[in-house]
Amino acid sequence: MSAPALPALVPPRVRAFLADRRALDEAVAHAGTPVHLVFPQVLADNADALRTVLDRAGVRHRICYAHKVNRSRALAVAAREAGLAVDVASPEELDSARAAGFVPGEIEWTGPKGEAALRRAVLAGVTVNVDNLWELGELDRLARALPPGAGPVPVLLRVGEIPGTPFSRFGIPLTRTDRALSVFAAPGSRIELCGVAFHLDSGAVADRVRAAQACLRLVERAHTHGLAPTVLDVGGGLRQVFTADADRFDAYVRALRDGLTGRGAPLTWAGHTFGYHVDDGAAHGTPVFHKYGNTVTAPAMLAELLAAPLPEHDHRPLTRVLADNLLELWLEPGKALADHAGVTVAAVEFCKELGDGTILVHVDLSRDTITPADQEVMMDPLLVPRAGPPPGPPVGVFLAGRSCLERDMVTNHRVFLPGLPRPGDLIVFPNTAAYHMDLSAASALMRPPPPRLAVVRTAHGFLVTPDARAGTGRRAVPRES
Amino acid sequence: MRYDTIADLIGNTPLLRLDPARHGLPGVELFAKLESHNPFGSVKDRAAAAMLRDELPRLRAEGRTLIEASSGNTARSLRVLAGMAGIGLRAVTNRIRVAEVRDLLRLLGTEIVELPGLSECPDPTTPNDVYAVIESTMAAEPAAFHHLSQYTNDKNVEAHWAGTGREIHEDLAASGIERVDYLVGGLGTSGSTRGAATYLREGNPELRAVGVVSARSDFIPGIRSETEMWDVGLFQPDFYDRIVAVESADAIEATLTLARTHGVLAGPTSGAAYAAAVATLRERDLAGRDPHDPLVAVFIVCDRLEPYLSYLRARRPDLFGGPERPAPPTADELASVPRWSPAELAARDRAERLTVVDTRGAMAYRIGHVPGAVNIRDDRLEDMLAQGVPFPRSRPVVFACPVGEIALGFAALARRAGYDAVVLDGGVTAWRDAGLPLERGL
Repeated sequence: MSAPALPALVPPRVRAFLADRRALDEAVAHAGTPVHLVFPQVLADNADALRTVLDRAGVRHRICYAHKVNRSRALAVAAREAGLAVDVASPEELDSARAAGFVPGEIEWTGPKGEAALRRAVLAGVTVNVDNLWELGELDRLARALPPGAGPVPVLLRVGEIPGTPFSRFGIPLTRTDRALSVFAAPGSRIELCGVAFHLDSGAVADRVRAAQACLRLVERAHTHGLAPTVLDVGGGLRQVFTADADRFDAYVRALRDGLTGRGAPLTWAGHTFGYHVDDGAAHGTPVFHKYGNTVTAPAMLAELLAAPLPEHDHRPLTRVLADNLLELWLEPGKALADHAGVTVAAVEFCKELGDGTILVHVDLSRDTITPADQEVMMDPLLVPRAGPPPGPPVGVFLAGRSCLERDMVTNHRVFLPGLPRPGDLIVFPNTAAYHMDLSAASALMRPPPPRLAVVRTAHGFLVTPDARAGTGRRAVPRES
Repeated sequence: MRYDTIADLIGNTPLLRLDPARHGLPGVELFAKLESHNPFGSVKDRAAAAMLRDELPRLRAEGRTLIEASSGNTARSLRVLAGMAGIGLRAVTNRIRVAEVRDLLRLLGTEIVELPGLSECPDPTTPNDVYAVIESTMAAEPAAFHHLSQYTNDKNVEAHWAGTGREIHEDLAASGIERVDYLVGGLGTSGSTRGAATYLREGNPELRAVGVVSARSDFIPGIRSETEMWDVGLFQPDFYDRIVAVESADAIEATLTLARTHGVLAGPTSGAAYAAAVATLRERDLAGRDPHDPLVAVFIVCDRLEPYLSYLRARRPDLFGGPERPAPPTADELASVPRWSPAELAARDRAERLTVVDTRGAMAYRIGHVPGAVNIRDDRLEDMLAQGVPFPRSRPVVFACPVGEIALGFAALARRAGYDAVVLDGGVTAWRDAGLPLERGL
């Protein structure tokens, strides 16, 4: 039987680059290791796939690229060039979006915002996705203070605590949305209710159906206040596909669970259980890494959502209900757009054998460089020897990070490499563009985060350029008013 | 036959021999164990009764409510049996995906706790699986609940050892068959197949147990995928000679065969078991086998067909037909429909009597429609056009939809039926964008 494995799905564009050793070596020679590589053309492919689903369903829509997924300039530019709008969540992301060429009418600001951020949003003229009633009151105040002729400030109301959906600390509790509507409807208001928004942290279409129905009820109530929202914003949460082979993924997980229950060789480092609880000789529960076994693509999930019948609307599909009510669908995919649009390259520093024979492969980055929110990444990294074939035989190792922290293990699960790496060999971590690169990146030990390069395939081969240079001088950036 | 309590009807279910000419497997005697004949409609009645029997007096004395991981048949059996003794049931579930099943549980008075979908960014300190929720619920109110735990309770297996398996053996023995070669059944808790096969292996150690699961990330109500089985405490993979993964499409096809060919009105899990049984037996080379010594196979029919109509409809709408539809309008018919601009409609509406039909959903009509329009939703309108349209022929009919596309088709069909029908060009969107007034509805 072959060694347990978690083969990563690698799209043809990225596979071609990795196979072209000259391009990879050039990138590494240029920037050293570790280095993040982003593939803007992959993001464009992903955008096309989502738009095809929306067009086929005949739904009026706006896709806002969730910038938070990756700080890359090249990906932001690619999103703009693909005709997407953008969702920013900080003043810095707003700056980045503007620099990537997005105009205010294409920018939506989501997430919790303080006074300074709200002021900035109002001055920039972007659409504000309001998280709470304080924000709404503050926006109302700021908008009323605008010079005559300016505004109105476009606003989306994010609704939260929707029964039957996962609890979230974000959004205005459904039970308090009437207070929000009365702010819009108050005399002299200079904020405009563009629409109603939700965002769910789950892949379940059934949850989104509940949330959409709750938002539609709110849209109808808004009309009784004399308001006429035109947008239903279903947020992000479209899923990624990491695995190239779901059966092998399942087999690895099975071996891992057998290791936890003592039926097989342990595959986990230092007692990690990844959310399983071991009881009665079985490993129960849902692992924190379940998303790495997903096989439902973002376009398939979106198509299912669009076609989902809404029980409160005579079981009419969501697309039909939106069209009936003259509503535009907005969505804020991040992961789904950045899926496969980046890899991270590290170098092996040394290998080390522990007293019990366990082998640690030390690499020149840290766990947090490629692991979002400390959730174990369940994709096999690729070993790219500096020269010659991989030195066999296959070996099971843990990858260790470069910091002085005990917890800085790049993998807490055993990874099976085709051979024991040598210092200087490259380790490529696949599919790191969607949150992996940035969400938990730190600069401990004064180590700067890895540089970022953009890789584009041209007629003359792969062009590797500094990410920050993307999009410069391509489109006049209008000044903020 | 007289019974004094409904619980006495549990078990002693029929064993139906399927006609070899209909199942088409030469050299095979195939039997269906009709667990669907249990009083509450499923194989789960046995496990529920067995798990509950000895606990009832204590539960009643202590005033506890049952809490159980179930999204269907077990919850229904427990709810009825416990409810008759004044004991409530809280069913905790990852979504009941079949509407009728949920409705029936509600009708019977079950408290249903449905967990939302899994977080994409889960916090390892707060697992949201069903068992964690049951544990924390019980910890929060220590004396309030009792968890019978169908997935780990050995009485679940014993009920099928002493019941299902023994009955199969005795019924076959009475007809001169002393040996069962195959037992096939869907895997949920694995109680029925383990219990029954264990009993039957006492008579034939060579019996092959076949467990049926759904294909990965597919859904067949009542059974799990193979990976999902790993969490089940009673599940012993080595017990089975074979685990067969069935696609839902094949399960549905087999469900239809069971109903239409064999007269067995069973749910899709039973269809999956039948499909797996046929596939497994077909692989055997029985060419040289003595015709007087056929292979004997039994599969478990675990519940009835009726609760799964919405499941079947969602996957196979073609099975449910519908009224005869008129042929779709031709390009010429569409092109010949007069298109009224919003301004033209507003002017004509002032000057003459029109029938304006808004084809959108109820909420859209309530929010705002062309003043005086009636609301006949597009799907209803389709039925009406097939059966006769309830508008006067004496005045023009104007169809209005979101942007004018859907209405155009209806106008063309109505014109074919002899009406003076037109379309509001650009739909209600154009009407709104032209600044014309919208009327609110109730």
